[in-house]
Amino acid sequence: MSAAEAERDGFVRVCALADLRDDEPLQVDVDGTDVAVVRVGDDVYAVHDECSHANVPLSEGDVEDCTIECWLHGSRFDLRTGAAINLPATEPVPVYPVALDGTDVYVGTRPTT
Amino acid sequence: MSTLSTAVETAPVELVASHLHPVGTFDLDAHPMPSGREEVWRFTPLKRLRGLLDGAASDAHLRWKVDAPEQVTTSRLSTEQVQALGVVPPVDRPAALAVANAGGAVLIDIPAETELDDPVVVHLSGDSADDLVWGHVVLRTGRHAKATVVFEHTGSARYAASTSVLVGDGAQLELASLQLWDDDAVHAGHVGITVGRDARVRSISASLGGDLVRLVETAEYAGPGGQVEMYGLYFVDAEQHIEHRLFVDHNQPRTRSNVDYRGALQGTGAHSVWIGDVLIRKVAEGIETYESNRNLVLTDGCRADSVPNLEIETGEIVGAGHASTTGRFDDEQLFYLQSRGVAEADARRLVVHGFFADIIRRLGVADIEARLLAAVEDELELTVGRPRIPTEVLT
Repeated sequence: MSAAEAERDGFVRVCALADLRDDEPLQVDVDGTDVAVVRVGDDVYAVHDECSHANVPLSEGDVEDCTIECWLHGSRFDLRTGAAINLPATEPVPVYPVALDGTDVYVGTRPTT
Repeated sequence: MSTLSTAVETAPVELVASHLHPVGTFDLDAHPMPSGREEVWRFTPLKRLRGLLDGAASDAHLRWKVDAPEQVTTSRLSTEQVQALGVVPPVDRPAALAVANAGGAVLIDIPAETELDDPVVVHLSGDSADDLVWGHVVLRTGRHAKATVVFEHTGSARYAASTSVLVGDGAQLELASLQLWDDDAVHAGHVGITVGRDARVRSISASLGGDLVRLVETAEYAGPGGQVEMYGLYFVDAEQHIEHRLFVDHNQPRTRSNVDYRGALQGTGAHSVWIGDVLIRKVAEGIETYESNRNLVLTDGCRADSVPNLEIETGEIVGAGHASTTGRFDDEQLFYLQSRGVAEADARRLVVHGFFADIIRRLGVADIEARLLAAVEDELELTVGRPRIPTEVLT
């Protein structure tokens, strides 16, 4: 995807692919919203950077088996769907579409869920 | 004299170790930037305060228009003059920043022994949520004065305010604060009330508009026998955050307080927060207090946080209690009204009106009561449609 195409489709460039290390979340700003971007192998995921239970950035938590954990109370969320896997969170977190053009990472401004 | 006995003699007897109630100070350094995980900030989406925690200088102002009887005077005070009056210091960072950045306060002065025939209405309005406004207001009601004062907020702004209310001995003050903001306004602040001996204060807060409203109201007593009533209503729509934090410090004997806040929520992401706290200090014998919060959840996807607290350091009191309820429409009330031939939409409207009218009628200013009821009606239009019964009949 070229930069022009990305903008047309409602995506913004958030970082270079090289900025992301496996399983290490990065907080980025997408149109004023904090989003946690995570690279898992060859895939990159983006979720709203706030636990659905309390006011805590998920990007400060650990990533394991394609889930991201809120460090305060231990709720985990599936990076693919945003679903809350264990308590205390019960609501999913919004998931954002991600596009790659080889070197750059683009995130959609509207969540898919 | 030994070191130990010195320490015992100088330790403040009334020092209370508690995270529940705010401790005010004019020292900005004592109000650090919150992370969002502090007990007092954990319900608030900090980003949506949009700069009210940062404290950037700004000379933007709200438009002021004061309708007041001729006995009432307004003047400017320096920050030092305000502190010298012995007002309650700001209890949170937005209010402390407001004091620091406002460059002085507006004093509204109701002289002692004055009984006002008409209410004082302060109209405050802003043009745009791009404007960052720091406000500092002192309202002084003299000894044995009797007055009604209404602050009305309209339009839009990012507004942080510190409001100090001094109520003289034996005075009677009816105070109302109406948050009728546009959808994008942000409003945070602290109203600190000092109640004189045998004085009586009734404070009503109505929060209907704004993207985020977070108001802290505190009351303490300057002598025995004072009485405080804090009433509130809020109507929270989708993605709106409305937060009220109340604190009554019973620091004098034979004082009374009563807190009653009611809210309705509708739409996904509507979030209300109500935190009530009453501290009954050791000296506060013979006091009586009650606080209550009721939330009516009209649709799915809303969230109401409601936390009443009581800190009791003496049992030599008349009474202390609190209550909190959060729920949807009472099916039995709806069924009863429908069984009398009232259509479901009208029945829902009647229940909500009954819920709020009970608070609104305590205001005692007819045209503002009517405006608030009309505002509630406008809110209800979103979920129950327009009334077929004229509003006048309901009041």
